[in-house]
Amino acid sequence: MTQVFSQTIWLVPCYALIGAILAIPWSPGIIKKTGPRPSGYLNAIMTLWAFCHSLLSLKEIWGKAPQYLSFGWLNAPGLNITFDIEISMVTVGALMLVTGLNFAAQIYAIGYLEMDWGWARFYSLLALFEAGMCTLVLCNSLFFSYVVLEILTLGTYLLIGYWFNQSLVVTGARDAFLTKRVGDLILLMGVVALWPLAGTWNYTELGQWIQTADVNPTLLTWVTLALIAGPLGKCAQFPLHLWLDEAMEGPMPATILRNTIVVSTGAWVLIKLQPLFAASPIALDVMIWIGAATAVGASLIAIAQIDLKRSLSYSVSAYMGLVFIAVGTLQAQTALVLLLTYAIAMALLVMSMGGIILNNISQDLRQYGGLWQRRPVSGICFLVGAASLVAFPPLGCFWALSQLINTLWDAQFFGLVGVIIAVNALTAFSVTREFSLMFGGKATSTTRRSPEGLWALVLPMTITMGFALHLPLVLSQLNLLPDWAEILTPITGALVGSTLVGTGISAFIYLNDNIAKPLNLPFKPIQNFFAYDLYTAQLYRVTIVFVVGLVSQIIYWLDRFIVDGFINLIGLATVFGGQTLRYNVSGQTQFYVLSIMLGLALFGIALCWPWLPHVSLSFIG
Amino acid sequence: MLSVLLLVPIIGAAIVAFLPMGESKRLRQFTAIIATLVFAWIVYLLTQFDLSNSGFQFSEYLSWVQPIGLSYSLGVDGLSMPLLALNGLLTWIAIYSSRGDIERPRLYYSLILLVNAGVSGALMAQNLLLFVIFYELELIPFYLLIGIWGGKKRGYAATKFLLYTAVSGLLVLAAFLGLAFLSATPNFDYNSITTEGLGLTTQLVLLTLLLVGFGIKIPLVPLHTWMPDAYVESSPSTAILLGGVLAKLGTYGLVRFGLQLFPETWSLVAPGLAAIGTVSVVYGAMAAIAQKDIKRMVAYSSIGHMGYILVAAAAGTELSVLGAVAQMVSHGLILALLFYLVGIVEQKAGTRELDVLNGLMNPIRGLPLTSALLIMAGMGSAGIPGLVGFAAEFIVFQGSFTTFPIPVLVCIIASGLTAVYFVILLNRTCFGKLDNETAYYPKVLLTERIPAFVLTVTILFLGLQPNWMIRWIKPYTTSVAVNPTGLQIAQVETQK
Repeated sequence: MTQVFSQTIWLVPCYALIGAILAIPWSPGIIKKTGPRPSGYLNAIMTLWAFCHSLLSLKEIWGKAPQYLSFGWLNAPGLNITFDIEISMVTVGALMLVTGLNFAAQIYAIGYLEMDWGWARFYSLLALFEAGMCTLVLCNSLFFSYVVLEILTLGTYLLIGYWFNQSLVVTGARDAFLTKRVGDLILLMGVVALWPLAGTWNYTELGQWIQTADVNPTLLTWVTLALIAGPLGKCAQFPLHLWLDEAMEGPMPATILRNTIVVSTGAWVLIKLQPLFAASPIALDVMIWIGAATAVGASLIAIAQIDLKRSLSYSVSAYMGLVFIAVGTLQAQTALVLLLTYAIAMALLVMSMGGIILNNISQDLRQYGGLWQRRPVSGICFLVGAASLVAFPPLGCFWALSQLINTLWDAQFFGLVGVIIAVNALTAFSVTREFSLMFGGKATSTTRRSPEGLWALVLPMTITMGFALHLPLVLSQLNLLPDWAEILTPITGALVGSTLVGTGISAFIYLNDNIAKPLNLPFKPIQNFFAYDLYTAQLYRVTIVFVVGLVSQIIYWLDRFIVDGFINLIGLATVFGGQTLRYNVSGQTQFYVLSIMLGLALFGIALCWPWLPHVSLSFIG
Repeated sequence: MLSVLLLVPIIGAAIVAFLPMGESKRLRQFTAIIATLVFAWIVYLLTQFDLSNSGFQFSEYLSWVQPIGLSYSLGVDGLSMPLLALNGLLTWIAIYSSRGDIERPRLYYSLILLVNAGVSGALMAQNLLLFVIFYELELIPFYLLIGIWGGKKRGYAATKFLLYTAVSGLLVLAAFLGLAFLSATPNFDYNSITTEGLGLTTQLVLLTLLLVGFGIKIPLVPLHTWMPDAYVESSPSTAILLGGVLAKLGTYGLVRFGLQLFPETWSLVAPGLAAIGTVSVVYGAMAAIAQKDIKRMVAYSSIGHMGYILVAAAAGTELSVLGAVAQMVSHGLILALLFYLVGIVEQKAGTRELDVLNGLMNPIRGLPLTSALLIMAGMGSAGIPGLVGFAAEFIVFQGSFTTFPIPVLVCIIASGLTAVYFVILLNRTCFGKLDNETAYYPKVLLTERIPAFVLTVTILFLGLQPNWMIRWIKPYTTSVAVNPTGLQIAQVETQK
């Protein structure tokens, strides 16, 4: 069978790039006749074609061993960088997820940004993101993974800054760029340090190298820790998590992508690097600790948010924390399944929420209520999304979570089992809270008029819902479902139980009109602690931001007054000396003769200096 | 072949200065044509350049003033060829982007052509005295360019520049004289001078003279204070030439005469050099963060980026020297684009103050395309992959890492600081709300955009295909490396 599509799979990112470039002429002031919309349609078509290409490729390579392609990029002495591509069912499957969700987001944007003027910029950036993510998924090289992550960081900056004249957007974009860049640069350190050790950045070769490598364990630990930092920033893990929260100022279609696959890019790199981490127990421990801390912490923060989008964004961090735990306990396969099921569920949640935010013009959960009668489609989609997100059999994440938790139990990570049950319960609580506050209760002044949105909003949402409902079937087709025997354990029961408990308590509190909302905990500081994101932003402001600002001021002060001041002082002294000395020039011949004589005498003494001690002074006396 | 690069601009300068040519715009056209011819010739030379030859090519020799050992000896190799191309391109950009209504156009354009010839001459000179002549000759046109067409404090800036760089020239000359006399070489030809017979102390003294001399030109902290003033006070075209081209003579000299003539002593001083380079990188970035004037911010960023070159040159591996040359080219391109765009912003919005500028991305009344390109340039400078800055910096980091791991890690952190001030710059100027009261900016004309497009395309192309930049440098680096790269060390170890 010919392999036209799979051998040209590298075209998939190119389609998106072409779309990004084609959209530019519709920037304001260039093509005026048509308005900006064609840029969006063009990009949607390109993405659809990219999706079809991936689909056809998947058909070609179904059941086959991975193939590898390699293109030369940089050829320098001692540094030969090639662009390696892995064509396997996993990568092409991921490609389909990326292009599919992108397509959904682009259609969604047609509805969401109906009144916006910046389509060209928006679709260009979306397409840039798509190209980056497709490249990341395909590439089999740590170097290019880093390159893509860094470009995505820039893309995040620009995409969050889409509505650039709002001040919160500007600070959000700044923080996103800088926090992610911190992670990226530490990753770069790891990338640079790894080359002299391994001589390759190819993931496959790295995996082979580490089997036989004889590396100083301390060095390896540092390198692997550096490599964790990049994904850490991308996945919005503690302590680099605050960008995701602020990124919620960006437009919703971008949020669909960001909350699902953009954050997953970090996890993808982590999964690819798992063989390397396996050689460093400390790195694994760090990963698990960070993942667990973020998962629990972010789930708690999510519950304390009153902003709908932000509340959901902390669940993103929490789930990425679970992925960290999965990779940290060497369960790459489970991590991948979790990413897939999570992405679909989260996309569905964001889509259904986005349509509501769009025409109620509020993200404040306290202003919502009573939407169930008005927007049943969105409500059902939200429910399905929520059920797919938590361990609710037989929907998506149940399978991944139960496999994860059972493996952890078998490996006797009892603490982590507790973490996962807690996170699941808290997330169930959180999504139920969001659902109840939006759809339950009585209508408020904000929600009294709230029809379902445009077809462009509803269609992608319902299709994603259909996919989420069918996801278990897809998983079983792909042989990704765990064996029943493996997961029919009391632990799975506890997991499902935690879902029910979380949902139940939350529904009891938030669907109950007799309990006053917003809920106030008896101890206010704790509530504030979580509501203000553990005061992370304030912490950074008084530490790193303050220090950098202070040092830069000090250096600039030194520069102006000490370094430059010294030079100016010399200049001034010269000028002053010249000004003063000119009064010596009197014009009298005697004065000149005197100075000449003095000079000659001094010169003579200098010349005779070595012999002076031998000159006898006896003739004087 | 190479004399063309001297004769054409010098004759062009004479024509511009003395023949009646009519109005200012005609003069600019004529000068631009000359610059295009020169650049076309460089491109031709690039195609003729033998990539397998690590020595000097297209050599020309004419014994000139034999008694003092001065000869007219030209030649190019992988170190000077990319810089020649950079010089040709940026001269064209500088001429094209000069204002049409500039005062005293004859003097102005002839000076720019002289600058071009002088820099080319210094890059091609294969005789130490000839190099010094060209190196010193640069001062006069630049002094005038800053002093006549500069900003408010131009007199101060120009004098400071002149004094500093004259000292730089003197030190270099002293080092060269000492080198020739002490090693008893009959002439100053580059090929006949070696430091082999010299004692360590002598070598150290001579090398220190060179380092300080070129360090002023680069500039390195703490010899840099002429630079922000000179960059800020000069017009955008002059700033492009100053930062993009002239500063490269310092790094060029450092590699050509420091690293190549003193290979053994170089290894001794290398840790110190790496430290100075790292300090420059951090210092430049930190000082840039504190700036309120965008042009001054860009000027300080330049100090930081030149520091990478020093670190790479100090490391002295094949890869790091390659990175050093690549970084010279990349820094020249990006800095030129930044200065050009800052110039446009100043010209249209009437200010460079961060606290006043706002919302230039506004599509109707702002400067949307200029902002977009400014983002591109800033990100290129901050080392975002896909642009030439990343390619060069990455080679620098990777090449120097085995020799100087700690300085390289500090440099990587500093490139994060680079991102900090560029985000400050972009957030304040491009993002935000445009002030409706004041925002009646003149449109940026298509002709005004062309230099920016040319530079952007070059930056993007070389970033995506860095092979096109380093293929000309590669043959050279094999001949100068004093340290093995990390991979070579590893290979040697595995062979054992």
